[in-house]
Amino acid sequence: MITGALARVRVVPLLLPLVAVTLAIATSAILLRLAGANPGQALGDMWSAALGSGYAASTSVVKALPRLLAGLAVAFALRAGLWNIGAEGQIYVGAVCAAGVALFGPALGGMSPLLILLMSALGGALWAALPAFLRAYRGISEVITTLMLVYVAIQLASYLITGPWGIAGASFPATEPVPETARLPLLGTGTVLNAGVLIGLAVAVVVWLLLDRTTLGVRLRAIGGNASASSALGLNVPRVVVVALCLSGALAGLAGGLEVLGSRGRLVEGFSPGYGFEGIAVALLGRLRVGGIVAAALLFGALDAGGAGLQASGSGMSSTLVQVTAGLAVIYLLAALGLREIHARRSKARAALDAAEAHPEPTTSEVSR
Amino acid sequence: MNTATLAAAAAIALAAPLLYAALGELISETAGVINIQLEGMMLCGALAGVWCAASSGSVVVGFAGAAVAGTLLAALHGLLSFVFGANQVVSGVVLNILALGGTGFLFGSVQFERLSMPAPTMSAVEIPLLSDIPVVGPALFNHNLMVYVAYLLVPVIVVIRRRTTVGLALIAAGERPAAAAALGLSVRRVRWSALIVCGALAGIGGGQLVLAGLGLFTEHVTAGRGFIALAAVVFGRWRPVGTLGAVLLFAVTEAIQVRSQVLGIDLPYQLLIALPYIVTVLALAGFLRAMRPPAALGVDYQRT
Repeated sequence: MITGALARVRVVPLLLPLVAVTLAIATSAILLRLAGANPGQALGDMWSAALGSGYAASTSVVKALPRLLAGLAVAFALRAGLWNIGAEGQIYVGAVCAAGVALFGPALGGMSPLLILLMSALGGALWAALPAFLRAYRGISEVITTLMLVYVAIQLASYLITGPWGIAGASFPATEPVPETARLPLLGTGTVLNAGVLIGLAVAVVVWLLLDRTTLGVRLRAIGGNASASSALGLNVPRVVVVALCLSGALAGLAGGLEVLGSRGRLVEGFSPGYGFEGIAVALLGRLRVGGIVAAALLFGALDAGGAGLQASGSGMSSTLVQVTAGLAVIYLLAALGLREIHARRSKARAALDAAEAHPEPTTSEVSR
Repeated sequence: MNTATLAAAAAIALAAPLLYAALGELISETAGVINIQLEGMMLCGALAGVWCAASSGSVVVGFAGAAVAGTLLAALHGLLSFVFGANQVVSGVVLNILALGGTGFLFGSVQFERLSMPAPTMSAVEIPLLSDIPVVGPALFNHNLMVYVAYLLVPVIVVIRRRTTVGLALIAAGERPAAAAALGLSVRRVRWSALIVCGALAGIGGGQLVLAGLGLFTEHVTAGRGFIALAAVVFGRWRPVGTLGAVLLFAVTEAIQVRSQVLGIDLPYQLLIALPYIVTVLALAGFLRAMRPPAALGVDYQRT
């Protein structure tokens, strides 16, 4: 009976994330109440800013885009058991590459936005390459190296923006806007959707194909499952590690490029409020599946748009509530997964114990753990 | 006092918040628990420190609140990673997001108006005789009490690591948890204790940051110091004295960065901010053999 229930949970892989997100939103509403706001009013304000109109919904989608690519980046590495917690840095490097090529590169003709985006992906991949090689060939954990390089990338972007690439006397630190030919066109009037959204979706499909329909995907899962066994079976584990982390970095770099050529139109200091870190939450809530990651990114984009609306409505609530909700959602998910695991272990032990009592011949020591 | 003395005094004071957090992280990593949420614990400590100090009018209450806040976040990390079996890196990243959003939310919300008033701060305690030594004296021996406490923690931790069973238990839990458990050590308990101590110290570090300064909380006041402390443990090769050295080096770059115009140093300030991270990555890339983290760092240990 219990295994039946667990099997049902497996049929709906996104059930637990859904429960976690609902609980997180409920908790945030309680927090709003405690902070003296009217939660009904606040949630209403958020709703209308995130989904209340076609324009609002397009804002949510545009805000979901960097989170989608960051989530895909984290999930790509994580399928191979690798922790790219430095997606935030690769996003900044991708944005720097896009802005640099767009502003100072040679005129590249009609194809130029796509070529520039390729450069941003390349930049992200290169930023991930050092942690990748250190992990693959020197056995140094990628956790610390990718994390440390985040702050190097942010400062690099800051230096370029406030220094050689900056505008003297600008009201906010940013580069000049990229040329119009390099911008991703809007997909109609009355919307903020730009062609970057289509690129993001296409990339999501490609990632799904790579992960679930190619031998590369199988290799990633193999080294993620058991690296030494994969090695024994003749898999070049270090090479797969490098490929996984660099492609992960490329996806994050692309997120930065899309921001520069898309919604922002220029390189702005501190443009990412932590897309790369939120990408980890997105990947986990999406259970490392592309469909789930798209859904989680849309949720976070809507929360971001709603939070901005909340702040604009003058209720005195800051948009940081979005981060609280995102954090809580993942915490509830981790707790739910943990409880399921504990429950499964207990019921297995109980079943073994029952079997031992029914047939008392074997010693019970092996099941008493 | 000349410029060099002033800069040295500033560096020694700037190092104190980092030192609390880094030593806490060192203890925790020694036992095999990594805290990416160090930044979040410092941030919670800073917020609670200002709030408690401003409400009570007492710096001591402020530091107590800071320690409790850091401990609470550490307990959440323990709950997620030890009880629910979540990966420590995931738990840490998520708790950082939560702490950053949560402190920002509390700071912005009306119920916490106390945060906008300055909390009482600490005054410097001149150590008699020693502070009269020319040049060195004012730099080393004219700080607030919690700065001295931070530095005194270093020899205390060295002795605990080298000479006590507590130190042995920490190292065993971080290097060979299975062997330690086979010898009757409760790995779970050692790791919980180390984690709680880390949370309290990181919280105090956050409190030190605000209560030794202006006594004001601002959104994301820690500005990455938790990550610098994390880097200091790595750059300090997971040893107390090494960590102290790394913290001092990073604090000197911070002091130079703050004073670069006065000192006439023509470097982009961003390079100085990024320097701790750059040297840590380079050190990891260059000196592998000397830089081995605890063998079971971040690896869950479940009794089966």
